[in-house]
Amino acid sequence: MKQIALYGKGGIGKSTTAANISAALALRGLDVLQIGCDPKRDSTRMLVQGRLIPTVMDLVRERGDAGISREDVVYTGFAGVKCVEAGGPEPGVGCAGRGIIATFQVLERLGALCADVVVYDVLGDVVCGGFAMPMREGYAQEVYLVTSGELMSLYAANNICKAIARLSSRTRGTCRLAGVICNARDVRGEEELVGEFARRIGSTLVGFIPRDPVVQQAELNRKTVVEFAPESRQAAIYRDLAARILENRRMDIPVPLGMEELETLAYEFTP
Amino acid sequence: MNSPLEGGCTLTGALSVTTEIEGAVTVIHGPAGCAHHNFSLFHALCAGRDDPVLPAIVSTDLSESDIIFGGEESLERTIREVAAAGNCSLVCVLQTCVSGAIGDDVDSVCGEDYGVPVVPIPTAGFLGGGFHDGHVRALLSLVPPARGGKKTISANIVGEKTLEFEREAHYGEVSRLLSAIGVPVCTRFVCRSSVEGISRLPQGAVNILRDPSMVAVGEHLEAEFGTPYVSSFPLGPSGTICFLEELGEILSLDVSTAVAGEEARQERIFWEFRHLRGERIRFGEASGHADSLGACREIAEAAGMAIHPSGRQVPVPDPFPVGTGGIRKVLSLWRRACRARV
Ligand code: SF4
Repeated sequence: MKQIALYGKGGIGKSTTAANISAALALRGLDVLQIGCDPKRDSTRMLVQGRLIPTVMDLVRERGDAGISREDVVYTGFAGVKCVEAGGPEPGVGCAGRGIIATFQVLERLGALCADVVVYDVLGDVVCGGFAMPMREGYAQEVYLVTSGELMSLYAANNICKAIARLSSRTRGTCRLAGVICNARDVRGEEELVGEFARRIGSTLVGFIPRDPVVQQAELNRKTVVEFAPESRQAAIYRDLAARILENRRMDIPVPLGMEELETLAYEFTP
Repeated sequence: MNSPLEGGCTLTGALSVTTEIEGAVTVIHGPAGCAHHNFSLFHALCAGRDDPVLPAIVSTDLSESDIIFGGEESLERTIREVAAAGNCSLVCVLQTCVSGAIGDDVDSVCGEDYGVPVVPIPTAGFLGGGFHDGHVRALLSLVPPARGGKKTISANIVGEKTLEFEREAHYGEVSRLLSAIGVPVCTRFVCRSSVEGISRLPQGAVNILRDPSMVAVGEHLEAEFGTPYVSSFPLGPSGTICFLEELGEILSLDVSTAVAGEEARQERIFWEFRHLRGERIRFGEASGHADSLGACREIAEAAGMAIHPSGRQVPVPDPFPVGTGGIRKVLSLWRRACRARV
């Protein structure tokens, strides 16, 4: 079982990337499970025709965690991708990080954490203990950093490196950095910049996803690009990325950059 | 018994205040465990004092789903239940580590209308201090709003260590000294007080702090109501005389007769223990605070005892007994130590 996780700055396109990777992997005949770890619960939307599926936390809130079965939380989407959303509290109350931990306990108990490939799509850039849980507990063994060439996005990716470095130094730690994915924002020199960033943290750029209006169109049609426009160049890029992830054997302990180093790097590549 | 002054959890410190108030119910906002062990502690203490009252403590009993989704609803429900049960004149709300860590907005939940006053006390368990901080914060949170009530020639007793076994003895001695100068106790803040008693706090003309660790409370009351404070219960012979004189000054009273009477009383005690003259003593290692040690030296000297490194070890009691009555207690302890054959 391959367990990968996508981490990166909020709004960088992790969910789109995750859903397209899952779809592409499923089309290759693999049994794929995607778990959205964000109270926004929109990770799996494009895989299930735009629906917001009931979340594990909603069910825990309604019934308590004893009253939940696997069918209640695992939904089948496009090409048979199994979809789970962790959910969480309303903004401004409670502890969403603790919610992630509880979700994993529920999924574990239900035996729902099995597939050929599990894709964890984890929220935002700030990694509290709860959100680091998929990494810490060895669920997410291979972490992919999703970033653009924008400084704040690199900054978030660099922060996640710190978490990976920290967690992988523990004796039980099995989590490693598998690579960097550039989800382009059309910053000039972006591919080179992100490639160089990946190299400096001791990793590699596994994929460059250019900006393409078809992503928007697919989303409006409530589908992944792989489903909506299978012939498009963008779909080919996602399929290619999925293939590379499947074959990727890189497992690095990253070396995060200092803030100054990061800024200098971004500056060098700004034309 | 010694109270864990510095360590522990703010919750226990605050409970040592709120459980003393007659008619008050304390809601502990957190998992049941935090309430459980505190309940056991206070219950055991009451039982030890032959005081069969159960501490009025209620837990919001937070579960994991409250932690995730926020515990505000549980808190509101619990306060409503407590208020609806009647016969409660005040609800004190304490936070635990857990409700503090997830950031429940306790102040605004307490701000709703429950038909009973509800006072949130910022504790949050281990967050921001230990037992002593909880004690001080509870007192500060309970300071009544200043009402135009006129000051009378009377004194408030502030910040007693409610968990001390000797607290009533200490209080008895202080009120005896006060009555010697004709000053009644206005209210105790908060040993065995009621809500009504607490509301009289602004009327006292002077606040007598239990000990200097309560200065923050003394300062606050002075700023709030303009009431000056005496920073400690009196310890030792001269400490007791100074205490009377300080009160005389603050309250513009002639205390010379009371002082003379007290000095005569002290003389009698030293006479009673005249057989200790010439005993060589030294004070135990674990001896308490500098003030207690000073009082010990003074008592030894006045009793004609010699302090010497090779002398017999005598205890420095903690809490140190208060006032002139305390001198007799200290000397009896020392007499026992001197007579003990090793
Ligand atoms: S509030 Fe915190 S320190 Fe205090 S009893 Fe509860 S868990 Fe323990």
